[in-house]
Amino acid sequence: MTPQNDIETQPAAQRTPWYKRLGLVITAMGPGIIAASAGNDAGGISTYSTDGATFGYKTLWMIFLMTFSLIVVQEMAARMGAVTGKGFAALIREKFGVKSTIFAMTTLLASNAATSVAEFAGIAAAFELFGVSRYISVPIAAITVWLLVTRSSFKYVEKVFLVLSSVFVTYIIAAFMAKPNWGEVIHATVVPQFEPNVNFVLLVVATVGTTIAPWMQFFVQSNIVDKGTSVKNLFYQRVDVITGAISANIVAWFIIVATGATLYKNGILVSSAEAAAKALTPVAGKYATILFAVGLAGASLLAACVLPLTAAYAVTEAFGWERGLDHSFSEAPAFNIIFTFVILFGAALVLVPKAPLITIMVMSQAINGVLLPILMIFQILIINDKRIMGKYTNKKLTNILAWITALVVIALTIVLLVGSVLQKMGIL
Amino acid sequence: MIYLSQLLGKPVVDAADEQIGTISDIAIATGEVFPRVTALAFKGPDKTPFMLSWRKYVKEFEGDKVELNTSSDELRFSYLQSDEILLSRDLLNKQIVDTQGMKVVRVNDLKLSDSSNTLRLLGAEVGMRGLLRAISPGFEKTVGRFLSIFNQSIPENLIAWNYMDLLEHDLSQVKLSVTHKRLHELHPADVADILEQLAPNQRAAVFAHLDNTQAAETISELEEEYQADVIEDLSERRASDLLAEMDPDDAADVIGDLDYGKAERLLRLMGVEDSDAIRKLLGYREKTAGGIMTPEVTTGRESMTVEETIEHIRDVAEQRESIHYVYVIDSENELKGVVSLRQLLLEPVEKTLGEIMERNLFVANPDDDQEEVAETISKYDLLSVPVVDDKHKLLGIVTIDDALDVLEEEAEEDLVRATGRSEHKEGANPLAWLMPRRSGWIVLWLIALFGMSLASSTLNSKYMASSAQMSSKTFGILVLLAGAAQIATLGATILPLILISLEESAIRGIELLTDAKKDERPSLAKRFLFGGGVASASGLFSGIIVLALTDLLTGSIGLSSAYGLCVFAAALVSGLLLTALVNMTVRRDDKGKPTSPAGISLIAMLVCTLIVLGSAFLLLVYVPAFSASILG
Repeated sequence: MTPQNDIETQPAAQRTPWYKRLGLVITAMGPGIIAASAGNDAGGISTYSTDGATFGYKTLWMIFLMTFSLIVVQEMAARMGAVTGKGFAALIREKFGVKSTIFAMTTLLASNAATSVAEFAGIAAAFELFGVSRYISVPIAAITVWLLVTRSSFKYVEKVFLVLSSVFVTYIIAAFMAKPNWGEVIHATVVPQFEPNVNFVLLVVATVGTTIAPWMQFFVQSNIVDKGTSVKNLFYQRVDVITGAISANIVAWFIIVATGATLYKNGILVSSAEAAAKALTPVAGKYATILFAVGLAGASLLAACVLPLTAAYAVTEAFGWERGLDHSFSEAPAFNIIFTFVILFGAALVLVPKAPLITIMVMSQAINGVLLPILMIFQILIINDKRIMGKYTNKKLTNILAWITALVVIALTIVLLVGSVLQKMGIL
Repeated sequence: MIYLSQLLGKPVVDAADEQIGTISDIAIATGEVFPRVTALAFKGPDKTPFMLSWRKYVKEFEGDKVELNTSSDELRFSYLQSDEILLSRDLLNKQIVDTQGMKVVRVNDLKLSDSSNTLRLLGAEVGMRGLLRAISPGFEKTVGRFLSIFNQSIPENLIAWNYMDLLEHDLSQVKLSVTHKRLHELHPADVADILEQLAPNQRAAVFAHLDNTQAAETISELEEEYQADVIEDLSERRASDLLAEMDPDDAADVIGDLDYGKAERLLRLMGVEDSDAIRKLLGYREKTAGGIMTPEVTTGRESMTVEETIEHIRDVAEQRESIHYVYVIDSENELKGVVSLRQLLLEPVEKTLGEIMERNLFVANPDDDQEEVAETISKYDLLSVPVVDDKHKLLGIVTIDDALDVLEEEAEEDLVRATGRSEHKEGANPLAWLMPRRSGWIVLWLIALFGMSLASSTLNSKYMASSAQMSSKTFGILVLLAGAAQIATLGATILPLILISLEESAIRGIELLTDAKKDERPSLAKRFLFGGGVASASGLFSGIIVLALTDLLTGSIGLSSAYGLCVFAAALVSGLLLTALVNMTVRRDDKGKPTSPAGISLIAMLVCTLIVLGSAFLLLVYVPAFSASILG
């Protein structure tokens, strides 16, 4: 049996003039960039800020290495989508059957729900910087997100959020203005450093989880499928994915540099959004808080809208249930329940009295990190199946990179769990 | 009925009764309406895949294994032919799409029929039932039992193979070949079958493609529960047109299920003649002769000649449901006799109806039970029975097709009565009493849980508020109570889980023991080992959950492991106790003495609860560190 799409073999890039190519690249732009920007969401900002504030430049090497992992993971997702024309959830179901699918979907839902909590925590934190209580901002945000999602007006608002969240590009300027020791920074980027304590491992796992969030694999793949991208245009999709991954990680890298050069140097820990905002002081001075709050609100709202639908589409696709926003509740109950659940769960948990917002954001990313390898292993097994992918299975290098990423995260998770238990028992 | 999920993984044994592998897949030949299973794929030792011709080598398939008719060294293996597809590889879990993109579902299981050793593929299961079965058949049963308390069942949704289409060279999707064009070629009854499987908005989409005649017939063929829904979804104009098109008795059935306002509006929209006929019928009670009769009767007068009558039939046949009998009435509408179509054809044309009619006929009253009428029709091989009032005036007729519907309906009801948990069958399986009530227990536990957590929190806040003015003794008691309530809450969270697994093992045990012959039963030691195993597994699981919960709430690893241990111990002890009780039940059963199953499960539940609460209480009283840690 051969997949339906293997007619074209030559990359179209070799035959098309450059200006047309550029046009194609621009039209292909989208899923990769959005996924990567949405990756720099509330969880991302707080995790990277905590990285820099707590351990200085010591986690920079991870960002460098993870750029490759992120490219590999996103490229695999894009390729799977273009070759099979099916979502990731559908492929899991068709290759592994019902039981494994339930496992994978539970993993995705857990990851999604955790991230959703982080987004609402981000919204709460952002509005608290403006002096708005979370008991007002979060319920309103939840309703807004729900309406945006269900009335499918999200695509109009998407760009606004995207622009708002691009505020975080200012971290790049902030990093330069903080005048870090660039020699130190470069050294920390290429030479891995490790601190033997549980907090460090936890942050490392959280950083992995926020950079390569599990739900992104589903998002990128179904976006490619929706656009009807064929294997022919895979080249342009790769460009999109790679630029998206690199630009997202550049921002992440600069966040750590900026926080490392300001907060860490002054011994300020990121215990609140206010503290995190201080890293932007070199750029914005007394307006740093406002700038940070605007960016955080935009990024959080963007991700809060993308997340619930990703989960709802994936789960219903896997089990063959009715889906789509044009179906009413009684026509597509599972679909509606899932995205409503993800939104409500995220909002409800943030409203628990005295919930520590920054901790919630970082912990949710750690959960993502722990769950990532599970879905990655599904992904690797599917993409190496010749019956599904034809000749578009992984090359050796991609496989090695993918497996290393998965196995390293598994190892980190084990270290983290054992470390936490030992610490709890007072041994560490 | 066999499902693919039941086949996969089952052993394949050769003529010498030796196992040579396990079933990994089966192949069918495409092209037939209900295709035959042609080949068996199995995994031999070392997971080597093999393929055999089903027709040549398979002697028989029993529920738990496939028997071959040859010894393993004489088998000749075959390859997959180009017209063959593998069920598990190519169909299971795949997506079925309608060519119009109307419905997208997944194949959760495949249904096969076993008739004289030939397995045939019937269709794809796309409903919840197949999904649950794919998780585990036991799970499917458990959910089914749970739903049965609420008088619900798990919906099974079968798409027959003859509606499906495989695109050549692309097995990644299965196409549902019922296109709108072909809908017209299908019999209304088949269209109705398909419609019942569609979502409401899709149903409306299909109706938009049907002409009035076909749509009306399709509605008549729909199961009662869908009819009203469909009418609700259509525009009132169209709905009224369709109802007018239908036979009045069918239309009355549908309208009877609508709410009053809607029914009135629809009736007003149609012609006076049609609506009058329906209104008359609406006056009769459901499930009576009046309820199922049609007022459209072919009638004649005694004075009419055969020739005139035939001419008359030609004129009115369009509007009549049945023309097989001409009922003879007088000017007062009183029924005098009947003439069959056969008589009309055979008798001389100049004879009058009065001369040839049969005066002695079966009649029904509008209040007669519909089943009685149907049975009369069936018993005397009639095509219809007239319905008359007290003055013997003709009201309508019950035709044979309505009678058949009634008989089918009643047969189904009888079947449900026979296979469901009826009162007369009690005692067959002692724990059967419990099955439908089990979730009742869970509901009880949930209420208890809620109550206890409420108590725990009020107690906690009470001693927090008043600890300053209290004597040390009352304060100590309060701490104890608060701690006990806390543990009880945790215990209650987890108890239903333990109880369900315990009961499951008990039910299994009893089924196993009562079904098996005495000497085939597993030894007592083995049973205890099994019961203990299940109990410790569920205990371990719930213990860990309790541990994690306590840790999360109190942050004390000592306290949480103690709680976890309490729960584990409770599960283990009550599991072993339950095995002993099951053993006792079976012994008594052998002697012909029935045991109250409610008693057994009650004892196990009480013991389990007592151990959880008791051990927690003891811990609190005798290990001061714990009460201290609760105080925080």
